[in-house]
Amino acid sequence: MLRFVVRRLLLLLPILIGLSILVFAWIRALPGSPAEALLGERATPANVEAVKHRYGLDKPITTQYADYVKATVSGDLGTSIASRRSVASEIRQRFPTTLQLAFAAMVFAIGAGIPLGYFAAKRYGSWFDHASLFVSLIGVSIPIFFLAVILKYVFAVKLGLLPTVGQISPLIDLEHPTGIYLLDALLTRNWAAFWDVLKHLILPAIALGTIPLAIIARITRAAVLDVQNEDYVRTARAKGLPPTLIDRRHILRNAMLPVSTIIGLQTGLLLSGAVLTETVFAYPGIGSWIANAIFNRDYPVIQGGVLFLAIMFVLVNLLVDVSYAILNPRIRLS
Amino acid sequence: MSIAEIESTELALNAPTGGLWREAWQRLRRNPGAIVGSIFVLTFIVVGIFAPLIARYSPTEVDFNHLPLSCCPGPSSRYWFGQDEVGHDVYSRVIYGARLSLIVGVVSVCVGLSVGFVLGAIAGYVGGVVDTGIMRLMDVMLAIPGLLLAIGIVALELPIPRIYQIMIAVGVTNIPIFARLLRGSILAQRENDFVLAARAVGVRRPTILFGHILPNAISPVIVQATLALATAIIDVAALGFLGLGPEDPATPEWGNMLASAQDYLSAQPLLAIFPGIAIVITVLGFNLIGDALREALDPKLRGRV
Repeated sequence: MLRFVVRRLLLLLPILIGLSILVFAWIRALPGSPAEALLGERATPANVEAVKHRYGLDKPITTQYADYVKATVSGDLGTSIASRRSVASEIRQRFPTTLQLAFAAMVFAIGAGIPLGYFAAKRYGSWFDHASLFVSLIGVSIPIFFLAVILKYVFAVKLGLLPTVGQISPLIDLEHPTGIYLLDALLTRNWAAFWDVLKHLILPAIALGTIPLAIIARITRAAVLDVQNEDYVRTARAKGLPPTLIDRRHILRNAMLPVSTIIGLQTGLLLSGAVLTETVFAYPGIGSWIANAIFNRDYPVIQGGVLFLAIMFVLVNLLVDVSYAILNPRIRLS
Repeated sequence: MSIAEIESTELALNAPTGGLWREAWQRLRRNPGAIVGSIFVLTFIVVGIFAPLIARYSPTEVDFNHLPLSCCPGPSSRYWFGQDEVGHDVYSRVIYGARLSLIVGVVSVCVGLSVGFVLGAIAGYVGGVVDTGIMRLMDVMLAIPGLLLAIGIVALELPIPRIYQIMIAVGVTNIPIFARLLRGSILAQRENDFVLAARAVGVRRPTILFGHILPNAISPVIVQATLALATAIIDVAALGFLGLGPEDPATPEWGNMLASAQDYLSAQPLLAIFPGIAIVITVLGFNLIGDALREALDPKLRGRV
């Protein structure tokens, strides 16, 4: 197991090198220099030169890349041109927000998807089965941003139940021992804040969680249908074991194997969906931050942010592979 | 293997088999999902091609005369889907939006498919350093979330119209998917007995690749291409929604329409509903066909018509 993890981590290295070159080259290919973007109307040639010098943009390209790699390895991702804050500290502040959103979305997707798929399979061919099939078909076909707009209209505009912007009301005070707002509120027993953060979280989590929900429901249904006809299930029935025990121990547990793979795969994909969800709901996470940085040509943010997201993405996939190997002893890691 | 499975396998072996494609076609015809999907997709294609005949007005025509002071008038006999905030006919814009989605979707999948196809075929058939090089590059591309990659390419502002940039951007995100798929498929086919036999009798390498391996590796690619069309249409609309659609904001584009409808959500939610439903129906159609094709082309199910 350890050898497998180490090997996978080593495979990460060429990906990271390729990624850093790609992002670095892309930044240089963008139209308009960051110096001009930063200065705006004050972009006289002299000012531009001064800013270029300050950010090291006047050095040869290979030196710039070497500097960039050296700094990145030591954990220095540069300073955001727009906010003048260090990129690393912004990531530290924003990543917990995205994490919280992705986690909530996954809780929603798993919590609703597995029962939906399970009961659809148990009542195979019934109206509930057809309804669940319909839900999962619509779920994978509806764009996140359209779903988000509908949710906004129904729950915010029409019913006035939930907020649509941000992750906490500006009037509520909250200490941040962890940076994950929901957890912070719990730890400091700040129930007003907890409720407020939760209310801000519901709509984005549903919007982001619907695609994984649909896919999880579908895979669960297929897996349960598959496992139900296995010989060991028939044997258990013949032995006269109580049906609930068979359902739980023989069927559900074995059906969870393919489901766990798909959950892992979908977790990686959430990062992409987070860009749209965070933008629609103005949720201050990594996704909306990078999308804004691209519009504002905030080079250090794009550089550091994309690299960070990609590393997270690859690590999530590694974690999925490892946990799958632990869950399924039949898999031989080679 | 259970008794039922053994029996079905025996049945399958005894059953008369037409070609793979004929069998697939027969299975497709009996799949209700495939039928519904085809209706949606055919409607989309017909609407896209004949948009000028189906639309009632030009999508960019502005009619102030029937625009009241408050935004926005709902459906009427004059404007079936109502008018948007600047006085466009929403119905005509949704119709022309299908045309744009169709063109951009098909072209971008073709871009991703052809480049990914060539890269995957080379990697799978040549192997060695070439294989490693290509696949590492694909890994790097896959490590960037797809939409972010597309945003990045559009942000480069290449000196071509924005619409071509969108096609390239969405196409590029598809390259690694097709490359991986084709490489895996070819690697699996390469070890097959018929390839060995062809090699043994001295068939040349290109002939083996094009005549023996590719035809057998193609069916997962077709399935993926159908599903990729669904994703491409969503991605194009997502770019439009984020403000990275065609330069001219009057261009009828579904994502773009949804984004501007957001500002008038409380006054006229239908402005968002119409283009949104158009996207859902189209994407649903391609997803249904893709799923049905996957089942129909599955060699494991052959003979079970």
